[in-house]
Amino acid sequence: MTGRAWHASAVTVLALMTSAACRSGPRPQPGDPMLDAIRAEEREGKLTYVESQGRRLFVHYCATCHGDDARGDGQNASNLNPPPPDMTVSRMSQDPALTRRVIAEGSAAVGRSPLSPPWGRSLSQQQIDYLVAYCQSLGRETP
Amino acid sequence: MEVRNIAPLRLHLLFAGLGITFLLIFSWVLFHEEAAEWRTTQARFRQLEGDVKNPHQLAEAASVGGLRQVWLPDLGRIDRCETCHLGIDDPAFAGAPAPFATHPGTWLATHPTGRFGCTPCHDGQGQATDYAAAAHRPQPFVTRPMRPLETIEANCGTCHRALDPTDAPRLAEGRRLIAESGCFGCHEIPGFEGMTFRGPALDSVGYKVRPAWLASWLKDPKSYLAQSKMGNFRLSPDEIGSLQGFLLSQRMQVPLDSTGVDWKNADTANGRALFGELRCVSCHAVNGRGGTMGPELTNIGDKVRRDWLFSYLKDPHRVQADTPMLQYRLNDAQWRDLTAFLLEQYSSADTGAEPPPVTYQDARLLAAGRAVFERRGCSSCHRLAAIKETGRIGPSLAGIADRDPDELPYGGSTVRHTTDNYIFLKVLLPDTLGQPSGMPTFGFSPADAARITLALASIRKSDLPASYVVGRPALVPYRPGGKFGELVMRYRCLSCHTVGGFGGDLSTVPLDRIGSQLQRDYLANYLLNPGAVRVSVEARMPVFHLSPDEAKTIADYVSMVFLDDRFDRYDTKFTSAEARRGQELYGQLGCQACHQLGTKGGYVGPELSTTGARLKPGWIAAWLSTPQTYKPGTLQPDYGLSGADARALTAYLTSLGRSDAAKARGGKTP
Repeated sequence: MTGRAWHASAVTVLALMTSAACRSGPRPQPGDPMLDAIRAEEREGKLTYVESQGRRLFVHYCATCHGDDARGDGQNASNLNPPPPDMTVSRMSQDPALTRRVIAEGSAAVGRSPLSPPWGRSLSQQQIDYLVAYCQSLGRETP
Repeated sequence: MEVRNIAPLRLHLLFAGLGITFLLIFSWVLFHEEAAEWRTTQARFRQLEGDVKNPHQLAEAASVGGLRQVWLPDLGRIDRCETCHLGIDDPAFAGAPAPFATHPGTWLATHPTGRFGCTPCHDGQGQATDYAAAAHRPQPFVTRPMRPLETIEANCGTCHRALDPTDAPRLAEGRRLIAESGCFGCHEIPGFEGMTFRGPALDSVGYKVRPAWLASWLKDPKSYLAQSKMGNFRLSPDEIGSLQGFLLSQRMQVPLDSTGVDWKNADTANGRALFGELRCVSCHAVNGRGGTMGPELTNIGDKVRRDWLFSYLKDPHRVQADTPMLQYRLNDAQWRDLTAFLLEQYSSADTGAEPPPVTYQDARLLAAGRAVFERRGCSSCHRLAAIKETGRIGPSLAGIADRDPDELPYGGSTVRHTTDNYIFLKVLLPDTLGQPSGMPTFGFSPADAARITLALASIRKSDLPASYVVGRPALVPYRPGGKFGELVMRYRCLSCHTVGGFGGDLSTVPLDRIGSQLQRDYLANYLLNPGAVRVSVEARMPVFHLSPDEAKTIADYVSMVFLDDRFDRYDTKFTSAEARRGQELYGQLGCQACHQLGTKGGYVGPELSTTGARLKPGWIAAWLSTPQTYKPGTLQPDYGLSGADARALTAYLTSLGRSDAAKARGGKTP
């Protein structure tokens, strides 16, 4: 093969490859079934990752009084006077600064009964952040 | 010497052309560097900084010119993410637009970028300095693009090796599922060393189960028990037939003699009463409710033979030396009543009469059954003396997260090639990845399979420096000797309680310092007649039917050995003023929200009206001061009490129920 012919064929092959690459267009996106499984679960719970972290803490620390869905109907609620509020309609749970204060310093710190204790020394800052995020998601949920 | 310029014109032209080409390339490089994405990003940041900060803060702020990187030689990483993520550790940029926003949460307080960089948690290409090359989104030829937030806990697990890492609930749940499903029976899994999975021993299974039940169980365990921990091995009818024959011929140990038992007069009403009193549901679920330590009993009558059940209840440790089930102290008539109750109450409607045991003679069938047993690795979970240990039958999962995702099989499915997707599909549907698989189908939900994937995806080929590893504390098995040791074994105290972290976690009370927590006389009485300390807790200590002598042995041993001197040295001479102040504090702090006193108060914590007879003062004070130290995750909040306030509350609580204690000491305590 002469040098000239070799050059010509190389250029042709290159041109063909380039045009093939351009023609192929957008290919179908491959799926991520593992991520999809997690996202499907999050959609079902209607909570973001951070909110679901808060919900987990809520169920452990708060639900005996406030109820599993924060409606103020926990198994211990009937023993409390004043009773815990329905947080899905309470405006207080929509105010992040106030919510944080009640969780960290107890309800007595905002001039209410001492029945909701202070968690600021028991929970980490991160955990309280999660709880506040969950409380804020409550107003959003459809009944 | 004469020098002649011999270069012809062609060469001059070549040099000129090359010179111009190099000049062009050089200026293009200069221009390209000057217009680099990160430079425009930094310019935008300086503008934003001017808006966010006041002149004084601006003067103090460090200048942000040039590439910024964290070099972590011990992790082998160079992360230049902070070249663009300029506000990442500056709280002034909370809520700023990407990429300048402060890192959310308090993660950087515990994981400063100077020590951890960014990619150990987030993945991605740390050395890149533009958005695409950093692999914020999946890129061709990038093995580990940045993890989305939803799966980031996999990277927590690379350093955090505890079974239950805090703030990583999906990872913790995945590890719990692995421990519960016994994956390490067949696979070597780093982090699960030393764990054994207890399927029942099969040495005498021929006496234990009904043939029809065994066949349906081998076909699909979920058909009998939806929560079955055993997976579906997808056996052919022939395999099921031979395995069933092989297993039913395992009759090493004859059940305890029950020929003298008068079954005709079995009192199932008494059996029902015993079922409640022994608190069987603390460990066994019935119709989906109850504990999970033992097998669910909803259809137990379909499964087991009467003589075997009688024998097992009477002495569980004879057949299954490592069972967590305790041995109660009852008589034969009581065992008969309980057996009859279980078989009558908990069997499906179409359970036929018990067939006589069949003896299988066909040697070919038995050999085929044995071959199936060995081939499918049944002995990974079930002990069978007739079979020698086959070792782990599945591949090791060490370093599984670092396998090249493009070399793994995906069985023609069009998923993105990532180790996450491979592990997920393998866990969910092991036989669909285009290779014959001996792994059973466990029937996990997709969400559970994803959590198991997270746990496995944290297992890297680890050359991680030891200083980064937050390990699982090594547990020292606790095996006391003597008469006390015998009682601990017989009543399986460690199935529910822990000593030095060793044991089960069903009980909320570790035993390590129980002698300094409880009054000895209270404990002795409690062992004989355990009541509910917390009314809201469903799993309760069973009524063991201990002899008074046994209760005395346990109470004496515990109150001499399981001690913590810090509590016992507490000054217990309280003044009446302290007790009065304690009573005030009790109301002010809202203790009544959770604790019942008399008829008033909540039932989250223990009832307190007999606290003085129950608990030792030193322990009360220590517990009230820093409850989380003694029990992480407890619902008792840390009120930050001063020493004097803790003492006042202790004085008040100690005064409650003291006269009862004196009465109890009046002679009848063992």
